[in-house]
Amino acid sequence: MSLKIDSFPSSAAFDAIAASLSASDADRKEAIKKGNGIYTFALKNGAGETASWYLDLKETGTVGKGEAPEGKKPTVTLVLSDKDFQSLIAGKANAQKLFMSGKLKVRGDVMKATKVEPLLKKAQGGAKL
Amino acid sequence: MSFLGGAECSTAGNPLSQFTKHVHDDKSLQRDRLVGRGPGGLQESMRGQAMGGPQDNMMNEFLQQPTHLSQGPGPASPFAMEHMRRELERAQHSESSAWATEFDPGVEGPAQMDPGMQAGPAGFGPAEFAKYLQMNPTARTASPTVASQPSMMGYQRPMGYGMGMGGMGMGMGMGMMAQPYAPQNFQQPMQQQEGKGKGRMVELDDKDWEAQFAQLEKTDQQKDLDALDAEANARIEAELNEMDRSVLSNSDEFGDFESIWKGIQAETDRARQLADDDSFLDAMHMGEGDRWEGFDGLNTHSARDPLVDEYLFEEENLFKDLSNPFEEGMRIMEEGGNLSLAALAFEAAVQKDPQHVAAWTKLGAAQAQNEKETPAIRALEQALKLDPANLEAMMGLAVSYTNEGYDSTAYRTLERWVATKYPSLIKEPLSSDAEMGFTDRHILHTKVTDLFIQAAQLSPSGEQMDPDVQVGLGVLFYGAEEYDKAVDCFGAALASTESGVTNQSSQIHLLWNRLGATLANSGRSEEAIDAYERALDLRPNFVRARYNLGVSCINIGCFEQAAQHLLDALSMHKVVEREGREKARQVVGDGVSEAQLDNMIHQNQSTNLYDTLRRVFSQMGRRDLADRVGPGMDAESFRGEFGVQ
Repeated sequence: MSLKIDSFPSSAAFDAIAASLSASDADRKEAIKKGNGIYTFALKNGAGETASWYLDLKETGTVGKGEAPEGKKPTVTLVLSDKDFQSLIAGKANAQKLFMSGKLKVRGDVMKATKVEPLLKKAQGGAKL
Repeated sequence: MSFLGGAECSTAGNPLSQFTKHVHDDKSLQRDRLVGRGPGGLQESMRGQAMGGPQDNMMNEFLQQPTHLSQGPGPASPFAMEHMRRELERAQHSESSAWATEFDPGVEGPAQMDPGMQAGPAGFGPAEFAKYLQMNPTARTASPTVASQPSMMGYQRPMGYGMGMGGMGMGMGMGMMAQPYAPQNFQQPMQQQEGKGKGRMVELDDKDWEAQFAQLEKTDQQKDLDALDAEANARIEAELNEMDRSVLSNSDEFGDFESIWKGIQAETDRARQLADDDSFLDAMHMGEGDRWEGFDGLNTHSARDPLVDEYLFEEENLFKDLSNPFEEGMRIMEEGGNLSLAALAFEAAVQKDPQHVAAWTKLGAAQAQNEKETPAIRALEQALKLDPANLEAMMGLAVSYTNEGYDSTAYRTLERWVATKYPSLIKEPLSSDAEMGFTDRHILHTKVTDLFIQAAQLSPSGEQMDPDVQVGLGVLFYGAEEYDKAVDCFGAALASTESGVTNQSSQIHLLWNRLGATLANSGRSEEAIDAYERALDLRPNFVRARYNLGVSCINIGCFEQAAQHLLDALSMHKVVEREGREKARQVVGDGVSEAQLDNMIHQNQSTNLYDTLRRVFSQMGRRDLADRVGPGMDAESFRGEFGVQ
């Protein structure tokens, strides 16, 4: 039940996010409380294909393929390239800068979109000094 | 420019009326020319259309038109020459209308003037004029904008073409009618430009038309003109009234326009807000409204100081009975022994003597290295409470706060550090503990960074730079996510030959780990792993470095190795539990259940390790293993459950 699609290398991150959400009940509840919405990522890879994943932080705290869980609508959709998503996940890019330079497009509730980055950081797993 | 002066001084100051006369006069010229002209050509065909049937009537109508037009827009003053000249100078942006277009071509020269006049009726015959009268003002007003480009072209070209363009402009203008905008205020330019078309005409012809104008002035006294003017005035009046009415009745269109405008404004506001949001993401936190509650993200607590509880001691401590647990703890630390054991030793020491600052400090250091941040912060805060000038405790605290995301607290702690070590640098009072927003935090960060840079400049040669200052600076840059600079700082501290607290031999592994963590968080996992391994070479029991190593392995997708490292880290915690359990069994006797024993040594658990390990297992697709992870698990039982390459 891997969420990864091979033609989208960065999509492995969704597995990581799913894992981090399922790893700790406290984290998941925290994420739902802070996120409170359905976040959809529409990625475009080098070959011009597009695919979507969603983070349901409204109810279930799960990650899945597609625009939204069945019968639901995304609160916010983030549109970016597979490559930019990769660097966002790796912490090499910054969502604000991507947005400012037009590489990240946001549809829906922009305020919600600002909460995505800490979520992604969480998935990354911070090293400690 | 005699004709200009003439126009201004003439009895009929209004050049438009002159124009009418001029046109009137032209008729004869046209006839002469056109008669002699051969068939074919655009002009000819135009003429054909226009002149085909009731030629004389049309001609008369046509002659009236300019009068209507010219007399229309109220007082003569707007059409005074000077005014038009000014208009013309600005005419680059001109809404030179279809009208202008129609007349302009004729202006090219006398030779073309005649057919131009001839063609006038074709493009602007009575039928069209009627249409014009009926036309919705919006359409008419729209036409200037649309036609402006073509008309400028037409001006340069032979008349026939210009005509075509003019006609097109009209057509497009009419097409524009359907559009919901074309606001009322176009009406003004529209009126002016009626005059302007003629104004240009009068002006443009200056070279060749002087003679003609002289002729015109002579015919000034024409009587029938007055009648024409009166009629034209009446019609224009009526038309303007109608225009006004229809503009008013257009209110629904106007409503549309307004709603569009509102939409645009809303959009602009939103965009502006969005820009603000983006540049001051964290500043939103200052909004303090319910909506911003918890906006700061999942793991940052930028503004508030954390609430620090009292340190929680393990209930069972096998060092309790030792006469000098502090020395025992130091020995374990120096030897690179088990950090949990060392922590227990220091706990015993501070329980014996709550004023033992060094023991508190070392307890904090041990817990931090043992990947137990919260107990570390509690111990270090206690140490600082007892000795506000304890540099080591301050530095450790700054690092721990940075790890936990309490940025401003970390900055303040570093400020206190520099104020303690380099009091000469402090020129203004230290920052208060008050809650602060994004901007204040940024200012504080800049201020503290400046202080550290000044401290670094106290020893101009890099070799003698205080390595502790470098570490502090590194932590500051790390907190501000300026990882490259942080890497430089930690690297410089490692390279420094000066002795400081942070680079004494017992601390070098900490520096390597900090360098590694900085590299890892800036996305350089591979380099980070090298640094962690240096740290682990020095201190194999350095739980935090092992945890970090596991995290970096996850990030590069080596889940098996990651699980291995995390299990190693956990089993280092377990060593204590095992030993503690033996001890507990001895103390309490055999009548105690395993479950009770499990609960004894869990005051300072590290949920971090469990969570991370669970993540690894679920990313490996081993939910079965992930479910088994948790306090009380046996790390050894997982070995062999998954393949290690």
